Amino acid sequence: MTAATTGTHPVSSDVTTTGDGIAAPHRPFLHRLNPIAKLAAPLPVMIALLFTRDVATPLVFTVGALALLLVGARLSRRAIAGLLIGTPVGVALIGFTLGVWVDPARIDPAAAGASVVLIEIGDWRFTLAAYLVGMATALRIAAILLLSLLVGLTTTGPELVRASVQNLRMPYRVGFTALAALRFVPRFRHELDVIRAAHRVRGMHRGRGPVAALRRIVSYAIPLLASAIRHAERVALAMDARAFGAHPTRTERVISRWRARDTAFVVLFWAASVAVFWVVATA
Amino acid sequence: MTAAPLLELDAVRIRHLGAERPTPDGVSLDIRPGEVVLLLGPSGCGKSTLALALDGLVPHAIAADLDGSVRVDGRDSREHSVAELSETVAMVFQDPDAQVVTGSLLDEVAFGPENRLVPVDEVLARSERALKLVGLWDRRYDSPDVLSGGGRQRLAIASALALDAPVLVLDEPTANLDPAGIDEVYAVLRELANEREHAIVLVEHNLDSAVDIVDRVVVLDAAGRLVIDGPVRDVLQGRAGELLELGVWLPVSTLAALRLRSAGVAIDPLPLTPSELAAALDAISELPAPVADAPDALVATASPAITVRDLSVQLGGRRGPVVVDGVDLDVASGDFLAIVGTNGAGKTTLLQAIAGVIPAPRGSVDVLGMDPSRADARDRARRIGFVFQNPEHQFVADTVAGELELSLRLQGVEESARRDEVDRMLRRFGLEQHRQRHPFLLSGGEKRRLSVGTALVAGAPVLALDEPTFGQDRARASELLAMLRDLNDEGTTVLVVTHDLQLVADYADRVAVMQEGRLLGVGPTAEVLGGPLIEAAGLRHPPLARATRSLARHPEWHSVARMSQLPSPGGAAA
Repeated sequence: MTAATTGTHPVSSDVTTTGDGIAAPHRPFLHRLNPIAKLAAPLPVMIALLFTRDVATPLVFTVGALALLLVGARLSRRAIAGLLIGTPVGVALIGFTLGVWVDPARIDPAAAGASVVLIEIGDWRFTLAAYLVGMATALRIAAILLLSLLVGLTTTGPELVRASVQNLRMPYRVGFTALAALRFVPRFRHELDVIRAAHRVRGMHRGRGPVAALRRIVSYAIPLLASAIRHAERVALAMDARAFGAHPTRTERVISRWRARDTAFVVLFWAASVAVFWVVATA
Repeated sequence: MTAAPLLELDAVRIRHLGAERPTPDGVSLDIRPGEVVLLLGPSGCGKSTLALALDGLVPHAIAADLDGSVRVDGRDSREHSVAELSETVAMVFQDPDAQVVTGSLLDEVAFGPENRLVPVDEVLARSERALKLVGLWDRRYDSPDVLSGGGRQRLAIASALALDAPVLVLDEPTANLDPAGIDEVYAVLRELANEREHAIVLVEHNLDSAVDIVDRVVVLDAAGRLVIDGPVRDVLQGRAGELLELGVWLPVSTLAALRLRSAGVAIDPLPLTPSELAAALDAISELPAPVADAPDALVATASPAITVRDLSVQLGGRRGPVVVDGVDLDVASGDFLAIVGTNGAGKTTLLQAIAGVIPAPRGSVDVLGMDPSRADARDRARRIGFVFQNPEHQFVADTVAGELELSLRLQGVEESARRDEVDRMLRRFGLEQHRQRHPFLLSGGEKRRLSVGTALVAGAPVLALDEPTFGQDRARASELLAMLRDLNDEGTTVLVVTHDLQLVADYADRVAVMQEGRLLGVGPTAEVLGGPLIEAAGLRHPPLARATRSLARHPEWHSVARMSQLPSPGGAAA
């Protein structure tokens, strides 16, 4: 059905240049960075954010990460709307909820806003201080999430594996096994749906409460595991038959380079982050 | 044929860890460049195991003892790794889903050569050649997930070709595919066979597709011994009787000719394909009249068991696709109805809506006076049993007897009555000696019988099965259909969704044809299979109907689609 055209074309140049069919030049800058750079730059900040308690620091990083994503990532209109609307709404909701649950005894009475009561129901008072504690926590969550999206929204799984193997010297067996395992997920999700329907037909969905739920999960797990092991064995045979693991390295069709701009990105990111922490601490 | 053999097998015996006897048992044969070899044998004879030994997966990756020797291009398979042997032998497996590693077609095809450290330019050249050969070059940046089953299996063939090995081994490559997928794969295999650049070893039970591309047939018996090795026509035509005795399935056209021969119709040589059968029949000036396809008189007068009125089903919420669209269907008590159609025609969804597995709009389905989407599991189980494609999905107990008992307990049956009923069902489905085993440890056929037993034990007079023959060889598939036939004779109404139109032809009383969610028509099997509905639905006629439809001299044979319509030995002889 096809061989008529075999051999009439030279190897297409688009393949040799990028290997994934996306023309290199016009992509926003985050897409052009090495995935390791996008991982290394925000990681220390994400860890440091866990130890902050104020509102200002996570707020700056939330806004900064949002700005970076909007400028540097190719996003669908829905994703942009989600980020711009979802972030403040989410922070407000989570912040309020967490604030309600803050133990009033743990708030320093001298803190700003401790005496400003926002809502009062009987004995219970929701103070501005409690609200700020909730907001700070919500902003920390938002900042960490958005910083992780810098790599998450601009990198594909294979790109990350390629960079880890080539730039971090991770064994390719680990990377490719992880990729193959990722491909199992949608298959298992579908299979779980079928198993649940099959058990419903057998009249097995009866009973409420945690014990019944646990028994249901166990009864789903057995057929799912049996089929998962069989599937994994088959995939392993197919990979063996195609010489997976034959040599310590593989041919790399696409080279993952660490360029000056990657170093620059990481250094600038770290410098800016230190500046933010320092300014907030001294202000 | 003077070239040195690529594969040399000498007295190969393989015993799986824990198996009592070796299968295969003492197989010696050579495979030379350009040969297309079909490996046949009854279920359990070890033909797939033998295929896995050809590139060293046995003994390197699978726990099994290998006696004798397998030499791959002169190298002993025991002393070389699978990766080294992959330079000579490339494999394609049965399950298209279990062969995909990467996220795009191009990456997938490049995967093998990259593992072997082939230079980049050469990887790309090979990938392009392989993808073009299977017709997937234009989709090289797509994810394998968006391909159909047939497309993914063509991708697996391309990935094997990219290894640039002179031998291609395919282990039941079409067992998991629908008819359209089977045709796609065989179009590619035919091209490869014609090019003669590869030796091809094919393990396949679907002889109707394979027979016209192979040169040589190798047959193992049930004990795994090599009993026949010869050119395809010599073996299939000259030793057809022997093959049948061994439990090997023959092409439908050959089986039909054998039956006609025993009825006194002189057909010689035996035809292997529908066109050969048609030519042989047209060469005979007078044929006995075909047996009339008598509709089941009881069914015609029986009350309806299932009534479906204007049923539409939308999957995945209000924005989801309409998968079943305005279907009206009546199924009489005691009917044996097959629902056929291409992938995505809505067959399974229709069956699931009838059985209450998925909800249907109020009042659109009636099963023996019950609306399945309003009834609870206990009421449903008393009226309609549903059997899923994979029997394991439905097992919920630790023992075989427990599976049956659980369904009875749900109905509130007394303990003593439960025990009697479980005994009766175990006997009925031939599972007495497995009473205390775990259901997962049964053989494939036993699992299937148990799943049918659990669906019927609550006393349901209607049984619905979703693609029960998927991934099975013809012997197992007909064993299952014969069991359904028996249940049907005992009064059970049977609904079955399947891709195998020849099985439909031989067992179902009536056929419902679906396309794009709509029911194109329902009618007696012979009428539907002989008529235009099959092609209208984008399907291909089953082999026997294909042969008889094209007959020029015998128009009265045009509606012959099932074996039982052929004149039998006792009937009128020519």
